[in-house]
Amino acid sequence: MNRRFVGLMIVMALFLGGTSVAWGQGQPGTLEITGVPTDVVAGRYDREAGVFFADVRAIAGALIKVKREDVQIVGKTMEWRTDDDYLIFTVDAKLTQDDFELTGDVVEYFGEEKKLKSQGNVVVTTDDATVYADHLDYEEETDQALFTGNVKVVFSDGVLEGERFLMLLEKSELQFFGSFQGEFSDKNSNEN
Amino acid sequence: MKLSSRMKKAILVLAILIIAIYLIFRFFIEPPQPQVSVPPSVQLLESRLVGRKDGVRQWEILAQSVLQAGNSVTLTSLDEITMFQDQEPYLFIDADTAVWDRKLDILHLHESQVRDGEDGFYLESDLLIWDGAEETLTSPGPVFILWEGLEIQAAEMVMEAQSSLLYLKDDVRIRDGSMLWRLEQAVYDLEQKLMDFYGRVVLEGEDGDDE
Repeated sequence: MNRRFVGLMIVMALFLGGTSVAWGQGQPGTLEITGVPTDVVAGRYDREAGVFFADVRAIAGALIKVKREDVQIVGKTMEWRTDDDYLIFTVDAKLTQDDFELTGDVVEYFGEEKKLKSQGNVVVTTDDATVYADHLDYEEETDQALFTGNVKVVFSDGVLEGERFLMLLEKSELQFFGSFQGEFSDKNSNEN
Repeated sequence: MKLSSRMKKAILVLAILIIAIYLIFRFFIEPPQPQVSVPPSVQLLESRLVGRKDGVRQWEILAQSVLQAGNSVTLTSLDEITMFQDQEPYLFIDADTAVWDRKLDILHLHESQVRDGEDGFYLESDLLIWDGAEETLTSPGPVFILWEGLEIQAAEMVMEAQSSLLYLKDDVRIRDGSMLWRLEQAVYDLEQKLMDFYGRVVLEGEDGDDE
């Protein structure tokens, strides 16, 4: 496999393998809402429904932050269902771990199903590459990350574009579906 | 006996001084008020005291000793205090002493523990203040509450009986199973079971605390 893809695969595997961000199954973690004045509502917890909701869009400088080990998700709105351990971040949603960063209009984590989804202007940035797509679906069980819709993988020396891009992280395989176009500069062409 | 002129002058000055001192005391310094007869305070033993608002029973206290002085009623050796809502008992309070200001309809409860009859509500505070006019129960100091599996701590608390809203202020901690919320302020709607968190919010999950 191309060396440039190997780096991306390793980072994705390290990151997506450890994205369990919730507290429901006895996992330690923290949720923090900062920058909210004392007299302003930062969030509401509906104990009967088991739902925590926070919306700090109207508060300048305020941020919702969820941390578990070295994974962090931030955003301006958040909903967390404690019963099935479902977490959704919207508005400026960003998930980071070390040199991995995922941004999207929406970032969702399905704790029970162990799935991570992101949609709308999805950008995954690692040291080796940046992946753009409309959607990202990751399943922990199969260890697959699927990028769909206007997929663009940008390396330091080239670009790949297509509609569907599957990363089989456990097998270290990449699958491109449909037509894909790529352009790479000459200086690294001997690596291909 | 013949007095020298110096002696005469001295006697004259002394006489003037005595007269001046007498006049000062007589006309310028208020004589002490005569002792007023104070009616003795009333002390009752083994009493049932009932607080009402517009004729509706708000609270009822069984006490071994009731001391009334003016508008202040001090109750000691309390058996039990019952708070009523819509004529039905909804809170029971154990306290060391209670002081009721009849005019203001404010009841101070010292070293109190509050519990309800059905839902397992428990509240502990060094001082609770029941304001009959506002129908609020205030803990101006630290409070500890158990409520439907929640452990709540706060530096101050106000509970509104009419709206069933619990206001928690400063250094608020709410433990819900393995989760610990740390908050600046919270308002808990006890009927709707909704909690609004104000200011900075921190939720800590604890490892291995689940059942």
